[in-house]
Amino acid sequence: MSDPSPNPVQPSRASFLRRYLFSTDHKVIGRQYFFLSLVAALSGAWLSLLMRLHLAWPKLAIPFLGEIKPENYLGYLTIHGTVMVFFVLSTVPQNGFGTYFLPLQLGTNEMAFPRLNMIAFWTTLTSFLVLMSVFFVPGGASIAGWTQYAPLSVLASAGPGQALGTDLWLVSIGLFCLASVMSASSFIATTLKKRAPGMTWMRMPLTCWAWFITAILILLAFSILLVALVMLMSDRHAGTNFFVPGGLVVNGQPVQRGGGSPLLWQHLFWFFGHPEVYIAILPAMGITSHLLSNFARKPVFGYKAMVGATIAIGAMGFMVWGHHMFVSGMDPHVGFAFSALTTAIAVPSSIKVFNWLGTIYGGRIRFTTPMLFSVGFVSLFIAGGLTGPLLAQPALDEYLHDTYFVVGHFHLIMAMAGLFAVFAATHFWFPKMFGRLMNERLGRVHFWITFLGAYAIFIPMHLLGIAGHPRRYSELTGVQYVAVMAPWQRIITYAAIVTLAGQIVFLANLFWSMLKGPRAEANPWESTTLEWTLPSPTPEDGFGASATTVVRGAYEYGSKSDGEAGADYRMQNSP
Amino acid sequence: MPVANHHVEIERKPPSKPKTGGGGPGKIPHPRDFGGGDDGEPDRDENSDERAERQLIYRILMVVCIVAVAVVFIVLTAAYLYRRSIITWDQDKGDSFYLWRPLVLPYLQLWINSLVLLISSGTLELARRQMTKQNEFASMGIVPPAGRRELSWLTATFGLGLGFLGGQALVWNTLRHRGLFLHANASSSFFYAFTALHAAHLVGGLVALAWLIFRSWRPRRRDFRQVALQATGWYWHFMGILWLAIFALLHFTRK
Repeated sequence: MSDPSPNPVQPSRASFLRRYLFSTDHKVIGRQYFFLSLVAALSGAWLSLLMRLHLAWPKLAIPFLGEIKPENYLGYLTIHGTVMVFFVLSTVPQNGFGTYFLPLQLGTNEMAFPRLNMIAFWTTLTSFLVLMSVFFVPGGASIAGWTQYAPLSVLASAGPGQALGTDLWLVSIGLFCLASVMSASSFIATTLKKRAPGMTWMRMPLTCWAWFITAILILLAFSILLVALVMLMSDRHAGTNFFVPGGLVVNGQPVQRGGGSPLLWQHLFWFFGHPEVYIAILPAMGITSHLLSNFARKPVFGYKAMVGATIAIGAMGFMVWGHHMFVSGMDPHVGFAFSALTTAIAVPSSIKVFNWLGTIYGGRIRFTTPMLFSVGFVSLFIAGGLTGPLLAQPALDEYLHDTYFVVGHFHLIMAMAGLFAVFAATHFWFPKMFGRLMNERLGRVHFWITFLGAYAIFIPMHLLGIAGHPRRYSELTGVQYVAVMAPWQRIITYAAIVTLAGQIVFLANLFWSMLKGPRAEANPWESTTLEWTLPSPTPEDGFGASATTVVRGAYEYGSKSDGEAGADYRMQNSP
Repeated sequence: MPVANHHVEIERKPPSKPKTGGGGPGKIPHPRDFGGGDDGEPDRDENSDERAERQLIYRILMVVCIVAVAVVFIVLTAAYLYRRSIITWDQDKGDSFYLWRPLVLPYLQLWINSLVLLISSGTLELARRQMTKQNEFASMGIVPPAGRRELSWLTATFGLGLGFLGGQALVWNTLRHRGLFLHANASSSFFYAFTALHAAHLVGGLVALAWLIFRSWRPRRRDFRQVALQATGWYWHFMGILWLAIFALLHFTRK
C-alpha cells in the first residue's frame, strides 16, 4: 500500500476523554472490556461467597447485610448467574482479548468498525451498571434465576424482586444483546476483510478462528434472546399473554390472564441459551490450543480438524437446546432426538480434547504459568465434559435435572475451564498489553490454589446431586434427606472460601506487575504469531505504516522449523 | 528474534471491485479508475483500493445487520407457529381443540400498504442508480460534482416509507375498532408483534434515509454516501421482502 491506512490512533493533542475513555483504538477498548469483566467477576464471586456462606451457616448474619433471607439468596443466585455468564464468560474471552488481539494477530491496525466497538463497550458498561442497580431498588433482585422462567418472570406480584428488579434485568440484558451484536459484526468484518497480505484462512491462529466463529454465534444467538426479552417485556407491561397460561393463582388470588405457554419461553430462552454456552467456551478453546502449542513447542495437532471441530460445535450448538428441557413433558421421541444430537456434539469436543493432548504429547514443554492454566483448562474441560453425555440421557436427566449434579457439571466445564483460559490468556498476553511480565511464583501459587480448589468445590456437588440434593434451594433444613447433606455443603463452602482467598494472589500479582513488574521484551514466550512482532507494550499505532506480510502458518514450532540462530520456531512473517 | 518489518513486494490480487449493481453509465468507457482524481472533495485521502475495501466492509456490515434482523423474525415466526399448534382438551365436549382464535385481516389496507412499500423500494433503487450515474459522470469531469439529482427520489422513498407507517397505524386502528387490541388474544398479540417489530426496524431505515437526504445537500464525501446509499438500499429492499413474508405468513396461517 502506498498510503498508510487510516490511523485509528488519536493524536496526542486529543483530550483525555478521547484518548482513554471514548477511544476507538481497539487496544484501549480491549483493556476496558478486560477491566469491566474483572469488576464483574469480583461482583459475581462476592455473590457466590454470600450464597456459600448461607448454605453452610443458614443463620449467619453478614456484616451490613444481616441474615440472608430466601429472597436475598435467590436474588444473589440470579445475579451471580447473570453476571458470570454474560459479563465475564461472554465478555472477556471474546470482547476483551479478541478486541485487543484479533487485529494484531491478523496483522492489521484496527478493527473494521472502531466506533461501533466503542459504542458496544459503553453499552456493555451501561448494561452492567443497570444490572447491579437491582440490589438497590425496592423489591431487590429478581428471584427467577438467570433463566427467568415464565410465568414467575411475567407476574410482578409473584415474588420479591419480580417487579422493578426483573424490569431492570430485562433492560440490562437487552442492552447487552445489542452491544454484543454490534461488536460481533465488527469481528466478522475484520476477520473477513482486514487480514494482512498472505494471511490466508488456514494460516490464521486458532484464536482468530474461535473469535470469528463465536462472533457468528453471538450474532445469531443474541438476536434470538432479544426477541424473547421483547416478548417477555410485552407480557409484563403491554398485557399480552405470550407466556402466561390460564388458571394461575398468585398469593391466593386467581390471575385473570391466560392463553400463553410457559414452555414457549423455555424454548426461546434455551434456543439462545445453548449457543450462549458455546459462545462462552469457544474462545477459551482457541486460546488453549494457541497456548498449548506455544509452550509445548509443537504445532497444533490437527489444525484443520480443530477448525472443523470449532465450526461443527458452533453449528451443532443450535440443535441441542432441548436437553435443558427433558423434564418439561416433551414427547419422548423429541427427547431422543435432542439426546442423540447432544451426545453427537461430544464428538467434535472430543476431537479437540484429543488434539490438545496430541499437541503436548512429545513436546518440549515449558511449564510457565500460562501453560499451567492451559493444561488446567484441558483437565477441567474433560472433568466437566464427561458428565455432559450423562446428563444428555433423558432417563438419567429425569433424576438429575435441577440437582447439584448439573451445578457441578456446568461450573467445571464452563465456569472453571473458561476462567482458567482467561487466567492463561491474562498471563500470556500481559507483556503485550502492559509491557511487563507477571510474577511466575505468584502465578504458580494462584494456579494450584485455584485448580485444587475448583475440584474441591465442584466434585462433591456431583455426589450431592446423585444423592438427590435439589439446586436453587435456600433453606436446606426443612427436608430430612437434604438436611443430612449439610456437612457436605460446609465442606464445599470451606473449599470455596480458600479458593476465593487464593484469587487475592492473582489480583495482587496483576496489579503489582502492572506497576512494578519486570519489563518485557517483544517476544518473551518465543511465539510465532504477529502480535509478538511488535514491541511490548503494543505501540499506539500498532503495525504503523509498514505492511506486515504473512508467509507461513501460525504454529511453526519445533526442531523442524529451523528458525534463525537455531531458534525452534519461525514467526509468521519471517521470510 | 527474526522479525521482518521491511516492505515486501508480493503478488497480491487487487481487491475485486465491487459491482455497483447496474444502473451505472453503461458502456461509456472511463479513462480513470472509478471516482479517481479530485472530484471536489479535498478532505478525501484514500485511493480507490481503499475505497473498494471500505465498500466491501460496509456491505459485510449490512449483511450482518440483515442476518440479525432476519433471525429476530425467524424466531418470532417459530414462536408464532408453536403457539398456534397448542392443543388442549375440552372436558365437556370430550374433544381437543386449538387454543387459537383466527384473526380476520383487513386485506385491502394491507395490500395498499404493501404496494406503497414496494413502490418505495423502486424509488430508492432509482435514487441509487441516479447517484451512481452522477458519480461516474462527475469522476469523468462531465458534470460538476455538486449535483443532487437523487435527492428527489430519496425524498420520495422517505415519504412513501412514512406513508407505509401511517398505513400500518390505520390497520391497527381498524383492528382496535373491532376490539382486537394487543392483549385481546394470542393471534392479535402476534399480529401486533410482527407488524410493530417490522415498523420499528423500518423506522431505523427511515433514519438512515433521513441522514442521506440531509447529507445530500452538501457535495462532500460523495463516495461515502454512495456506499451508504447502497447499504441502505439493501436494508430497505430487505424490509420490503420481510413485509411480504410476514403478510404471507399471517395470511396462510390465519386459520
